[in-house]
Amino acid sequence: MALKPLSIAWRWALWVWIALAIVGAFYYAPLAQDFIGQSSRILFFHVPMAWASFVAFLAAGVWSVLYLWKRQPDHDRAAAAAVELGLVFAVLATLTGAMWAKVMWHAWWNWDPRQMSIVIALAFYGAYLVLRGGVEDPEARARLCAVYAVIGLVVAPYLYFVMPRQAEFSLHPQPVVNATAKVEMNSRMLQVLLVSSFGFTVFFFWVHGLRRRLLRLADRRSVAP
Amino acid sequence: MIEGGIGWVAAVNLVIWTGLFLYLLRLEAKVRDLEKEP
Repeated sequence: MALKPLSIAWRWALWVWIALAIVGAFYYAPLAQDFIGQSSRILFFHVPMAWASFVAFLAAGVWSVLYLWKRQPDHDRAAAAAVELGLVFAVLATLTGAMWAKVMWHAWWNWDPRQMSIVIALAFYGAYLVLRGGVEDPEARARLCAVYAVIGLVVAPYLYFVMPRQAEFSLHPQPVVNATAKVEMNSRMLQVLLVSSFGFTVFFFWVHGLRRRLLRLADRRSVAP
Repeated sequence: MIEGGIGWVAAVNLVIWTGLFLYLLRLEAKVRDLEKEP
């Protein structure tokens, strides 16, 4: 069965949306003050990637709550797919952050609180995948992993939003919404950042749906006679 | 106009995004075919 016109339309709308974010990042948004060269433009990719990873980890927690409540294997697969994609986005955010750090701080890695918090997030959710691989019984695996991902509903917000702010000293630029809850960013930069973040979020849910369907197919084949 | 002529970085980003997008469309079509199999 072919895709319905609306399904085709939103996918191509997403292509246009992210293409606009890319063009906006290079041609519409101005350079940030006190940043070396063009390095501030990585913001429009680095922050949305970190945001998408956070959304993915939260979504994994929500699907895990649903699994524990309804015991539907599809919710377990959805949680697993979300963690996998969250890790991909978190790795990309770490790499783009390291690239920026090399330009601005003259070192790929500085043990900055922001860098530490994302590394701990990677280790935490990496352990989720290790847990999945370590339990053979599907029901026990789904139950254990769901409980673990629900704990992540507390761990992820702490690592992304609380821990970096508790540090007394950080080289990392101020977050978009600062400690006084004010947005201090050039309006054009903010527009591109919001467009990019929204695009990455929709992109995550699209790829997530695809990964979930692949996991369902794999499960169907593994139980087929 | 971008100083330093890094318009090529924007072009590379667009090529990567378009390639990834088309790959995902193809993958989705393949998944749909596999789902139809009994």
